[in-house]
Amino acid sequence: MKSTHTFQTENLVAGYDNKAILQGVSLAIPSNKISIIIGSNGCGKSTLLKTMARLIKPISGQVLLDDKSINKIPPKQLARVLGLLPQSPVVPEGITVADLVGRGRFPHQSFLKGWSTEDYEAVAEAMEMMNITELADSHIDELSGGQRQRVWIAMALAQQTDILFLDEPTTYLDITYQVEILDLLTDLNRKHGTTIVMVLHDINLSARYADYIFALHKGLLVSEGTPANVITSELIKDIFNLNCVVTQDPVSDSPSVVPIGRHHSKSGMLV
Amino acid sequence: MMNETMKMIKTSRVKRKRRFIMMTFLMAIISLVLCGLMLMLGNTIYPVQDVIKVLLGEQVKGATFAVNTIRFPRMVAGLFAGFAFGAGGYIFQTMLRNPLANPNVIGITTGSSAAAVFCIIVLNASNAVVSIAAVMGGLATAIFIYLLAKGTSFSIGRLILIGIGIQAMLTAFINYLMLIGDTHDIPAAMRWLSGSLNGAKLANLYPLILIVCICTPILMYFAKRLEMLELGEQAATSLGVNTNQTRVILIITSVLMIALATAATGPIAFISFLAGPIAKKLVGVGFSGLIPAGLIGVILVLAADLIGQFAFETRYPVGVITGIIGAPYLIYLLIRINRKGDL
Repeated sequence: MKSTHTFQTENLVAGYDNKAILQGVSLAIPSNKISIIIGSNGCGKSTLLKTMARLIKPISGQVLLDDKSINKIPPKQLARVLGLLPQSPVVPEGITVADLVGRGRFPHQSFLKGWSTEDYEAVAEAMEMMNITELADSHIDELSGGQRQRVWIAMALAQQTDILFLDEPTTYLDITYQVEILDLLTDLNRKHGTTIVMVLHDINLSARYADYIFALHKGLLVSEGTPANVITSELIKDIFNLNCVVTQDPVSDSPSVVPIGRHHSKSGMLV
Repeated sequence: MMNETMKMIKTSRVKRKRRFIMMTFLMAIISLVLCGLMLMLGNTIYPVQDVIKVLLGEQVKGATFAVNTIRFPRMVAGLFAGFAFGAGGYIFQTMLRNPLANPNVIGITTGSSAAAVFCIIVLNASNAVVSIAAVMGGLATAIFIYLLAKGTSFSIGRLILIGIGIQAMLTAFINYLMLIGDTHDIPAAMRWLSGSLNGAKLANLYPLILIVCICTPILMYFAKRLEMLELGEQAATSLGVNTNQTRVILIITSVLMIALATAATGPIAFISFLAGPIAKKLVGVGFSGLIPAGLIGVILVLAADLIGQFAFETRYPVGVITGIIGAPYLIYLLIRINRKGDL
């Protein structure tokens, strides 16, 4: 089981080129759980994730891992606790799947040493977990989008961090693969207790797969809690400016958002 | 199950590593043979045993002079400059994820040349000053291109295009200097245009030898971080790489090597461009191509110099030969990239 950590942000103000997108966010990530950050485009959810993963330096405020500012932790040491799968990582030309997954071992390796037994173990375990063992010697450019995403997640898994951040891991994937990826991440959380924090676009999948939801609007945290408590038609109206009915997902009993548009609504529905 | 997977991954990795070591070893052997040929061949051909005797300090009539004062410095210049061009080019190409982004195409070597030619023709400066100016010119060009390309958000495509533009401007500047220059300065300045091992003197090579010996271990240390950098800024950072620090160190060390090599031999065309891709093709992926690229640089320079010296009626400087080999590859790459649609 992965160890438990406290992970907090304190009054985080951050953005690009000194233009603040996050306007002061304080939150605590529940350890060993799956948290999902939702919000409309430009609300700062991706900025929040990147700032928490030290890809963006905050303008003010701080990110604390076990009560220590992440900027004060040596990068390689931090990388053994906290990993991030970016939205669009770059594939080096000609690299094989096993080698790419192996790059996740960098924070555990030292100069000039080849792969240790632990490295091989971690890579093999990550590849089995993501069902990509038979792809080990394939080149990344030969893979489908869903396979590729599983390879990237395997790389992040090989890093063997207690906390894993994912920036929209299901974007551009068919619905089949979206569900597959979220299932695999849930496996990871249940089997190893990995703390998972991700940004997702799909609210209904978020409501189904999250233990905890953070809702962001205009750079501020407007609501947080379990999906059942957070996902309400008022909140959806506030942050997405969308009228909707919140029902119960017939499969998982989690809240499910059904939007109301100008057309195709039964009489009596609000427009 | 787990053990099987591990074994499979290990087997294929070990197989690839064996190929990598074999190929690198082979390149080292070929480099060594070429070094030997550089010492043996010339107006008079000396047998191996004579060359070895000379190297061990014995006097061999005729051979001692030719080998010690002409052939040995020429070989050392080719060896170290070739390695510096090859390894430095590889670092640039890998860091910027584009074979076009090498010091030769984006004008860093031309920056060195322009500064050197300016010192020779306008300032009538001494050799030492010319060498220092070449290094400063290379570094300044690299910084200038980087700053222009940085803009609001850094783009590699923009960096390459700006570099090609700067390179054209600097070439025009060199041509202008050649036109206004004194006739007797022109031969000295010419060397800075195509690159040549002619007239190499050991005394002038020490800075290059020193820098290659210092920078190569530094680059080897950072080679693994460079691999992470290949995954993009964000992935590298989350794997624990200090990306800015790594990039700055890689740029400074490789520009130093390239600039000093240029100061020693002139900008031997296309070596920094060709060596990386050839080495990668030969050793395969998954291991750092730094040393193989350096060795391919050595092989290209020495082989081209031997061809230039002995294959034709007239003797051609090494840069002319590598230019003939490199230009078609540049065109091929441009056509391929044009088809793929991204720079």
